[in-house]
Amino acid sequence: MTNDHRQRASAEDRDTHDSSAIVFEGVTKRYGDGTVAVDKLDLTLPAGELTVLVGPSGCGKTTTLRMINRLETLSEGQLLIGDRDVMSVDATRLRRQIGYVMQHSGLFPHKTIADNIAVVPRLLGWGKKRIRERVAELVELVGLDEALAERYPHQLSGGQQQRVGLARALAADPPILLMDEPFAAVDPIVRTHLQEEFLSLQRRVQKTIVMVTHDIDEAMKLGDRVAIFAQGGRLAQFDTPAQLLSAPASDFVVDFIGADRELRRLALERLDSLELDAGLTAPRDEIVARARSYLQQAGSGGIVVLDEQRAPLGWLDWDTLKQADDRARIDSLSLKPWRHRLYLHDNLRSALNALISSPGEVMPVLNAQGRYMGVIDQLQLTRRLS
Amino acid sequence: MNNDVMSLLAGVIDFFSQPMNWQGPGSILAHITEHITYVVIATLIGAAIALPVGIGLGHSGRGGLLAINISNIGRAIPSFGVIILVFLLAGFGVMPVIVALVALAIPPMVTNSFVGMREVDPAVRQAAVALGMTGWQRLWQVELPIAMPLIMAGVRTSAVQVMSTATLAAYVGLGGLGRYLIDGLAVRDLAQVLVGAILVAVLAMATELLFAGLQKLITAKGLQ
Amino acid sequence: MNWGWVASNTHQITAALLQHVQLVGLALLFGFLIAFPLALLAVRWPRLYGPSLAVTGVMFTIPSLALFILLMPFTGLSMATSLIGLTIYTLLILFRNIVQGLRGVSPSVREAARALGYTPARRLFTVELPIALPVIVAGIRIAAVTIIGMVTVTALIGQGGLGQLFITGFTLSFATPLVIGFVLSVMLAVAVDLALVGIQYWLTPWQRGVR
Repeated sequence: MTNDHRQRASAEDRDTHDSSAIVFEGVTKRYGDGTVAVDKLDLTLPAGELTVLVGPSGCGKTTTLRMINRLETLSEGQLLIGDRDVMSVDATRLRRQIGYVMQHSGLFPHKTIADNIAVVPRLLGWGKKRIRERVAELVELVGLDEALAERYPHQLSGGQQQRVGLARALAADPPILLMDEPFAAVDPIVRTHLQEEFLSLQRRVQKTIVMVTHDIDEAMKLGDRVAIFAQGGRLAQFDTPAQLLSAPASDFVVDFIGADRELRRLALERLDSLELDAGLTAPRDEIVARARSYLQQAGSGGIVVLDEQRAPLGWLDWDTLKQADDRARIDSLSLKPWRHRLYLHDNLRSALNALISSPGEVMPVLNAQGRYMGVIDQLQLTRRLS
Repeated sequence: MNNDVMSLLAGVIDFFSQPMNWQGPGSILAHITEHITYVVIATLIGAAIALPVGIGLGHSGRGGLLAINISNIGRAIPSFGVIILVFLLAGFGVMPVIVALVALAIPPMVTNSFVGMREVDPAVRQAAVALGMTGWQRLWQVELPIAMPLIMAGVRTSAVQVMSTATLAAYVGLGGLGRYLIDGLAVRDLAQVLVGAILVAVLAMATELLFAGLQKLITAKGLQ
Repeated sequence: MNWGWVASNTHQITAALLQHVQLVGLALLFGFLIAFPLALLAVRWPRLYGPSLAVTGVMFTIPSLALFILLMPFTGLSMATSLIGLTIYTLLILFRNIVQGLRGVSPSVREAARALGYTPARRLFTVELPIALPVIVAGIRIAAVTIIGMVTVTALIGQGGLGQLFITGFTLSFATPLVIGFVLSVMLAVAVDLALVGIQYWLTPWQRGVR
């Protein structure tokens, strides 16, 4: 779909497609009053990747972002997109080729959602039919209800407005997308949801994305690479999240990532990268005497009881089993359910979280269909960390 | 006292019911037409001066505070004084009235259009830049439509004020509904004064309603 | 400009100026005394706001000249006539701004004051009014400046402050008194406006340096 669009795009918006890497060469931004927002920055943001700029407030991350589409003018150095110097291109033309999403959606209150999304295509002089089709496509792409297209921004929730902001930025299919704290203004639950959808969207569209945030968790979660800025507009480290965690370049980076950086590393790995333990299981129609002998043989404190579809019903521990009648079915006993469900695509941090509140010493892991795949225990996680 | 009021009202009704008051050059309709002509001309000239100033300053964001303060002081310019002064300088004619009314019409329109432009959400303004709109495109497609309700409110305030102040035209020998006030005052015919007052008030309120309707019509739906 | 006329008529000019100031000051005072309780009621019972605004709005559309003349049978060629008229014109502006100012106090501040145990009256005078002050003063400024121009019309019913100079100029076909009256009334407006800004600056120390 996006490929189609690239072929149909006019010469003007194709200019930057060939190479959309963004290169800062000794870029400095100094304001009139002498404050230096960005100090001799050398940085190459690879094409097709999502780079997150993160740092404490006043570190120059937003200024860095805004220099890319010339909302700020650089004082010194060179900023290249592909091999073109941004300062040599007409500013408005440049901006039409670069999507921009901001914290407060910045939607035009007097235009409908559809018209808001159509702004850049109109500026580029697309035909009516082509605009209409593109808008419909985008409404679907960002997961908006079609019925909202004729509404006005004030009739939408914050999360929906942010989706519209994203659709507007993507409208002319720009190869580059700039995002200034795009998820900061929505509540935490909506934010997590939007982040996840955004990640899957990026997997499909593969744009060069630069995102600013002050939230290190968001940076680690979303970024292919993360640039950590220190006060005074200096770059402290630019690396993949895994590298930042395992080889932080300075105390500042360690501090900024936080004391719980081991836990953060867990968040970067998924359960399916681990070899699960088969665990001890029994079908629900098993009788107590047999279950007891399994447990004794395995020397385990309990057993995972599965239903006919191999979905875990609950945890049966030794204390309960010990007192029960030999001939009773085990699903007539009191099984302890798990508060969390853990799937193969969950990360190890969620696994640890689930384990802590698990009634037994192990936590069952499910596949996408909810079937039992094995168990995970604390020992496995601890080994992973060292 | 009560008798006074009753005879006053009787006088008004009598005035309105006399056919000769409805025909010819000195008729009610003729005075209304003259009155509205002054108002329309003055408001249009005022808008042609005030709106570009207010909108331009609001768009660029420079020098606005000074302009607003000057414009607010402009409200203090006594229309009565301007009419007489220009009359002495330029002699008999529409000129004194138009000058005074234009001076009266300008301040509210400058202030409102400036404030309307400045009140456009900075995030929206910034989005327009970031999406690659040129200065003109931002002005016409984003800022003006959003500022329109306030701009129109300014025009409305001006028009209503001009409508009631245009009565002063009669003092320097011109027509309009002020004739009833000035002539009535001269001969102590209060019924005639009341006729003038009622007619002007009705016209002023009609102007209010007209602009309220117009404002609704041209305000983008998303802003309502 | 005939400075000789100015020199020989200083007395008349000063008297006109003083009467002008007096009319404006009293009209603002009475206007405020009426608009303030009305605004409090309209804030307390929002349903009153619409009708009050409509009534004051209609009164604002009556041409000032007509209003002054129509009051004459009741109050004659006295100061009361022009004072009543001028007061009526301040009402709309003052009422609207006082209501807007009080409504602009953020609910969380109001809530906090309540939680801290302020009585309603104390809350009004020590919390809400100070916060609403800038908007209220803005209203007084507009009302004052508008009235300063309008006073001159009352010259037609024998009052008028500086407006008397206009009539003198008109009857003598002589521009000097007109220019004097004109300049003085604009200067008066500037002075009153600056004074009000100063009072606001002095009363709202927390706003200094913020805009």
